[in-house]
Amino acid sequence: MAHITLNQYLQQVLEAIDNRDGPFCAEMLSFKHPHVANPRLQLSSPEEKCQQLLEPPYDEMVAAHLRCTFTVSNHDFVEAYKCQTVVVQSFLRAFQAHKEENWALPIMFAVTLDLRIFANNAEQQLQGKGKGNVGDMLEKAADQLMSCFRVCANDNRTGIDDSKRWGMLFLINQLFKIYFKINKLHLCKPLIRAIESSSMKDEYSTAQRVTYRYYVGRKAMFDSDFKPAEECLSFSFTHCHRSCQRNKRLILIYLLPVKMLLGHMPSHQLLKKYDLMQFADVTKAVREGNLLLLNEALVKHETFFIRCGIFLILEKLKIITYRNLFKKVYHLLRTHQLPLDAFLVSLRMMKVEDVDIDEVQCILANLIYMGHIKGYISHQHQKLVVSKQNPFPPLSSVS
Amino acid sequence: MMNNTAMSNAWHHSRRGRGHRHKEQDRPNRERAVEQKAEDSVPRGACMTMCPAFELRQREAQNRLHRFEMLAGTERDRLPCADVSRAVKEYSRPAAGKDSTRASDLRPPSVLLKTVCYLVDDIAASSTFQPWTEVYSFVSDRLRSVRQDMIIQRVSGPDCVAVLEKSVRFLLYASYRLCGQPLQYYDPRINDTHLQESLSWLLESYRDGKHRHQEEFQALSLLYNLGSTHALQHVLELPERIRSSPAVQLALAVSRAHSERNPVRLLRLSQRLDFIQVCAVHRHLLPCRRDLLLLYSHGHSSRNCRYPLQRLARLLSLKDPLAAELCRVCGVSVSGEWVSFSKSSFTEAPSGDLQCRRTHEPVDDEQWNCPAGSVIHGCA
Repeated sequence: MAHITLNQYLQQVLEAIDNRDGPFCAEMLSFKHPHVANPRLQLSSPEEKCQQLLEPPYDEMVAAHLRCTFTVSNHDFVEAYKCQTVVVQSFLRAFQAHKEENWALPIMFAVTLDLRIFANNAEQQLQGKGKGNVGDMLEKAADQLMSCFRVCANDNRTGIDDSKRWGMLFLINQLFKIYFKINKLHLCKPLIRAIESSSMKDEYSTAQRVTYRYYVGRKAMFDSDFKPAEECLSFSFTHCHRSCQRNKRLILIYLLPVKMLLGHMPSHQLLKKYDLMQFADVTKAVREGNLLLLNEALVKHETFFIRCGIFLILEKLKIITYRNLFKKVYHLLRTHQLPLDAFLVSLRMMKVEDVDIDEVQCILANLIYMGHIKGYISHQHQKLVVSKQNPFPPLSSVS
Repeated sequence: MMNNTAMSNAWHHSRRGRGHRHKEQDRPNRERAVEQKAEDSVPRGACMTMCPAFELRQREAQNRLHRFEMLAGTERDRLPCADVSRAVKEYSRPAAGKDSTRASDLRPPSVLLKTVCYLVDDIAASSTFQPWTEVYSFVSDRLRSVRQDMIIQRVSGPDCVAVLEKSVRFLLYASYRLCGQPLQYYDPRINDTHLQESLSWLLESYRDGKHRHQEEFQALSLLYNLGSTHALQHVLELPERIRSSPAVQLALAVSRAHSERNPVRLLRLSQRLDFIQVCAVHRHLLPCRRDLLLLYSHGHSSRNCRYPLQRLARLLSLKDPLAAELCRVCGVSVSGEWVSFSKSSFTEAPSGDLQCRRTHEPVDDEQWNCPAGSVIHGCA
């Protein structure tokens, strides 16, 4: 297989198209398949041969694919990206002509996946040479993916079994990857709407749904919608295949902070198992109400947290840390009328800078407002009066 | 209408001034040729005056000159004459069939920068032109046409940065000075759109090379967009050198106070901001004061508790009578020197809204009469 001649290769493609064998045809056009390493197929101008055997636009698609293997063998990803664009465009023309059938979906998955990967590589190559702007290539790739998406999304007259709409979620996931990479999360919104309003949303493959919910969860997190974020990310984590440890780790990076914010602290074993010890001190600090340790942990792993985009979420854990610290003060004093000074002392112990009694009142007022403390502040007596029953309700019951 | 454009932006996301939209081509060779041509044919301006001669004549003939552009002495004529040294190209919407790439209609970067300096120094900062609402409508429109010329010519580099910095300062200043004006004179949404567009372009331009005022504008962007995860994440990803500058550190502290929902600290920190920073953050201050009252209404909610008005006014950084008025607007009861909080009486959507404008006072007194130009130019 790896060393077949051009003629044999083209024959196989031709047969696959005639038989409408999507999966096999997809392999013949995918860079995951070993044929791309076959020197006999790495050609700079295979057009004529392709035209002899294949009908348009397949001839153009296959020729561009072979040219692409040639450019990749030369490590020229900018050219590779351009070839792959032609592959996708000619594929799309063929695909649009397939009325009321969707056997070619696997081909679309293969060629669009490679398109995104080459855009990525091309961009890195250009950056290395100091050329091109960040995201330009990826944005162009996103344009291509969008034109595929439109073809799929608009195919709503065909019966469910033959509908091209089955391709939507795959494309959306590819688009998510690009939008997250180039930091244009607002572009995700119309895509999410398209899926959520679709009756097929729970029928896609588990793998695709896991990816989809992972990104939707991250988006919700970015918008500070923590409850939906937790639901999406939890789904992804529990449904992610057990062999995909790396993916599970990626999901956890976002799921952990959200869970913590909602009051569920991860166990030490879990952090160990997924090599996420960066969270260990944060967890400990929040649990103990140790603001000082929290700040130290955030500074220590700042680069990691910022790169993952969770630094801001982790900073929000401060509020829960205040709650846990103040709960300790309450347990120490064993009274329902707590002097505000005691809280001030506890904050100063944690080296909170320029804090005074007004800020203590503000922090307490916020905790009361959020339901973390049941009670009220008496300014005249400089006391926090807490409820006799359950003055610090469990975190999971709040928010 | 708004929705429509937002949608099409989301779907096409072509980038301003960058590369052309990828058209589907039949043959790869042809596509390459087209791309090459696009690179070569970026329009280069040749118009050395602030207003292209063609537009000048046309507007003169149609009697569409702004009064700031008329030749002195001819204002009362049936068709006033244009003063070439004062007329500035106006913004015009791109439309089908209109060629906006003629070299003679485009100003090169150096002329654009001079135009911006003229608009800011000679028009916006001058006290001879009144009322300022008219100055604003004139200057903001002409600044928009400057940005349009930059986009068409894909201008980048120091001139572009300088133009954008001045535009941002002007728009920030205007958002403060014109706050509370009737909608026909000043629309905060439109100003915000222009400001965000200029800001994001500016921040993107900072990615290449060194820039003298970068710290200042990174801080302004964060303050103006307080509470936006996007803006905050952007600052976090800046190089340490810029992130650790005093301006950015202060802005980060304000932002942290905001995300921790600590209005007491936020208002305290905001007293350490300079005037243009106050302009940037000011749209968040009234909501922040309301938030303080909301939190206190819950935290101090007890029938026999009272809170001294004077102290509250200090926390709100408002004068006593204004603090009392804000309390009443929010449903917090005030009697004499004392305030009584109650979580049930706080009203989220205040009736008889207290105008943001009126809370400007404390800083206004010293700054109001300082020339707008120095504020807009800053240390430049």
